[in-house]
Amino acid sequence: MEILGQHRREGLGRRENRRYGLFFLMALSFSMVLFSLFGARASVFEKARETLLDAANPVLSVLNAPIRWVDRRFGDISDYFNVMQQNQQLREENAELRGWMHEAISLQRQVNYFEGVLGVSMPEPADYVDASVIGEVNGPFQRAMILNAGTQQGVEPGFAVVEGEGLVGHVITSGKKTSRILLLSDPASRTPVLVEGAEQEAILAGQSRGQPALSFFAERQPEGLEVGQRVVTSGAGGILPRGIPVGEVAQIRGGNVRIKLYANYAGTDFVRIVKYHNQPDLSADSDDGADADGSDNE
Amino acid sequence: MNRADRRWLVIAPLLLALGGVVLLLLPLRLFGGVVPTPIIPLAVIFFWSVYEPDLMPYPLVFLVGIFQDFMMGSIVGVWASIYLLSQWLVLQQRQYFLGRDQHVVWLGFAIIVFIASLVLWLERSLLNGTLLPYTVSIGQWLVTIAVYPALSIAFSFVHERTILET
Repeated sequence: MEILGQHRREGLGRRENRRYGLFFLMALSFSMVLFSLFGARASVFEKARETLLDAANPVLSVLNAPIRWVDRRFGDISDYFNVMQQNQQLREENAELRGWMHEAISLQRQVNYFEGVLGVSMPEPADYVDASVIGEVNGPFQRAMILNAGTQQGVEPGFAVVEGEGLVGHVITSGKKTSRILLLSDPASRTPVLVEGAEQEAILAGQSRGQPALSFFAERQPEGLEVGQRVVTSGAGGILPRGIPVGEVAQIRGGNVRIKLYANYAGTDFVRIVKYHNQPDLSADSDDGADADGSDNE
Repeated sequence: MNRADRRWLVIAPLLLALGGVVLLLLPLRLFGGVVPTPIIPLAVIFFWSVYEPDLMPYPLVFLVGIFQDFMMGSIVGVWASIYLLSQWLVLQQRQYFLGRDQHVVWLGFAIIVFIASLVLWLERSLLNGTLLPYTVSIGQWLVTIAVYPALSIAFSFVHERTILET
């Protein structure tokens, strides 16, 4: 390779020292960090984020098209080689799901009957907004996605975002047509969850590239935890609805409990945003001492 | 070459750095998401700080960092401070880099990347209030170092045209 810059070495001593400019800008950067930390979420930076997100929407959407095209072609090739195996898998799943469908119908009838007898008024089912993933932040200490739905579609910060398998994260910034979601794997993410079977409430903390960890409210690790137990949102704090599947217990080592998420981030192209507003908490056993999922990237 | 074309060449580093930021936001998911997207803006800042710092002044580096902070949703000022610090380090060693073989420059870039990764890790740990695992960031920095030779070849074409045409 050609050696660049050889002819320019001699003139270096004459270059003006711009150290003061650097110090000023460094100080400005750190001041902005401090301002972001101590300023409210509705600060001028938050407005700028929303505006920039909306401005970037068309660019990201256009640039996504060739990526999706290539992704689909690779997917097609992969499907071609696995078609028999996938077919068999789908048949088995279909048979299993039919069984569950009949059970669900039966249970729904029972629930309707008891609702009628007891005169219970259940909350209205949540509305959904479908959105596609147009951007992704896959940085070392940051995990987020950018969606092509915003306040015009009724999306607000705090709403849960799910894909086919389970919870993906929650909305942290919402522009007019674009929003950013904090993934469960982000180190700043804190989600109140419930371990089914053990009936234990905990906070799910993101670990960047590793599996998220559970931290329990009790000092001692609760008993009854087993690998494979389902983890769902607890609804504590009233920000996220209760019962959204999150993952399952993958590893219990001492006090360290890791969760294998149902959501597959590498294959998530479309998501559903749950339009859930804080409703009266119907679960009397819910631990109100737990913080709501109010974590953000700040 | 007309004046408009020359202007494009002069703002090429800015456009490349901003393009690198946009690339960081695209869901490329290289090799099934196993390989992270390289931090191209850092490579752009390094290259132009060594070979043509007049086209990569501090305010421009600050602008690129702030743009990245806003777009990625990170705390405003984090990437700006990292890029400014990286550029300052490069400019301190610029005399050594100029005229050296590209393998030496590549090694210099790797050292700058390592320092930048440490600073990012420290900043993020402080802001999160807990010591984050440094190892999770290694992949992205290694990919950034790995792609630098290819990027520097592409950048050198733009750089040489800038020298010739302006």
